[in-house]
Amino acid sequence: MSRFARRIELEGKIPTVGASGVNIVRFKDYDLQYSNGMPIRYVAFPFPVAGQPRSVHKSYVEGKDLLSGKPMMQAIIDALTMPLTDEEKKEGMPAEAAPEPKLLEPDTEVNLRRLFKEREWTDFNPIILPAEERVAEMLKGTSHQPDEVVSKFGSREMTVEKAAIYAVMAGAKPEYFPTILATLTQAPSFGNSTSSMANMIVVNGPIRKQLGINSGTDVMGPFSEANSVIGRTFTLAGKIMGDLRLDEGAYSSLGSNLQYNNVCIAENEEALPEGWEPLHVQMGYKPTDSVVTIGVGWSYISSVGEAQINHPPHMMFRDYMRSLTGMGATIVMDPTVAGLLKETQGFNTKAELSEWLSKNIEVAAGTYWGNGVNTTAMTPMALQGMEPFATWLKVPPETLIKPFTDPKAIQVVVAGGGIQTTWFVTDFGLRRGVLIDKWK
Amino acid sequence: MKKKILLDSFLFLLVALISIGVTSCITGQEDTAKNCDERLITVLNPAISSRMVERVPLAPRIDTLEGKTIYLVDLQWGGPKAAYSVFEEMEVWFSRNMPSVKTEIRRSSGGSFGDDPALREEIISKKAGGVVIGIAG
Repeated sequence: MSRFARRIELEGKIPTVGASGVNIVRFKDYDLQYSNGMPIRYVAFPFPVAGQPRSVHKSYVEGKDLLSGKPMMQAIIDALTMPLTDEEKKEGMPAEAAPEPKLLEPDTEVNLRRLFKEREWTDFNPIILPAEERVAEMLKGTSHQPDEVVSKFGSREMTVEKAAIYAVMAGAKPEYFPTILATLTQAPSFGNSTSSMANMIVVNGPIRKQLGINSGTDVMGPFSEANSVIGRTFTLAGKIMGDLRLDEGAYSSLGSNLQYNNVCIAENEEALPEGWEPLHVQMGYKPTDSVVTIGVGWSYISSVGEAQINHPPHMMFRDYMRSLTGMGATIVMDPTVAGLLKETQGFNTKAELSEWLSKNIEVAAGTYWGNGVNTTAMTPMALQGMEPFATWLKVPPETLIKPFTDPKAIQVVVAGGGIQTTWFVTDFGLRRGVLIDKWK
Repeated sequence: MKKKILLDSFLFLLVALISIGVTSCITGQEDTAKNCDERLITVLNPAISSRMVERVPLAPRIDTLEGKTIYLVDLQWGGPKAAYSVFEEMEVWFSRNMPSVKTEIRRSSGGSFGDDPALREEIISKKAGGVVIGIAG
């Protein structure tokens, strides 16, 4: 919204006013500081706006602007007509903010712990304070220079040294650091959404064994130091880099418990059925490469119990995946499930399974458009005539459609200990993996 | 015998108190840990320096909306019907209260996160008096 308003103001010299629910407008200063640079004028409606009947919308228009307290339409008129303040006339680069010092003032451990909590430099589980010698030790885990930039967010740059600080805080060992650095190239990637986004981190290649990253029994549980710490570092780094503080930069209505660890797992490559390639090999990497793959998603549904012969796992995947958006999916299955799918159902590769699911998952068009993420993201494409979205928007709501149009967006990861024929379907959309060796 | 019981009780209490104190220091409970260790330590700063992006001023405002065309642009947050009637109600309000104001309701083809160059061009070429853009939430 602010980008569109900015262009109209800038290119057309035409006044605009942004109108939003109060839940969004309250974060306008974050947008101004890190993204837009133009102090867009806003009015705020009560939340929610979307999905309310016209009678409610009428009451909003006839009610008060929750920012100024004025009648809504008067507030809109004022936003378009009231002369600019000095603050709104400012232009150019702002005065450099005082740069963050490399070191914090020396203090007691208790006071420092309190400071870290006050500044929200924590997930509120205990952290290791990043003392100089600890960070120096962590930096020995990579050949990269401390000032090298790992990732950027607006004007904020995460350097190797900052990454080392976060790794120390999470409890990492120096040998984990290259994997952590590869992971942090994808940071930050949660928080700036009203929805409940989280991440999934999947590690492939020899590094799994070298670091002891669990790919077997209880792979998703709290039973492995490496899985726990690498996943946690991603969250600490993302929070601090993105300046994601509660009700400041972080505004997910429900949040996600998965953000504590980001489903950090390794693939059980040794237990893959013959013909089923590891995730990183599917992406074109060599089996001997060590790769970390990250993706964003929301949902995580378990099979709960064991596989059944009369309704085998791929059919259950299909049934469960009807609940997902269709934009992407990652299925995490025990090796025994992969074995069953190959031996009894004839899926000779992961790709064959993805292809089958893409062709067989059907949902009613009304259900598809009932998902707010689909509606917000795909409606513009439909209105621009892009298929199949344009057709899906026109058909009667009970018409069955196949939302997973791209089989390659359905990823399969084999992990687990061979103790139960169990699996999860998720809507995590994995991006291209990152080479870990590059960060050694 | 009575003396031995008293001595045992005293020793038990002493061990328990020491244990509680040690545990508090280890776990870092703030009220007691402070007494355990007043040493000053130096740690690196996790915060990342940043500055505001380049500031761009707003366009000058107009004196009045009377006689002007106001565009009401729906970014379709939540879909094409989610908030459209808010704009319809704004149009009703203008027609009743400021009839000289002409309103144009448009849906942006770029949705909530994209652009709609054709619509921007239309708004600029028609010299709109102002634009109301929304509605997220």
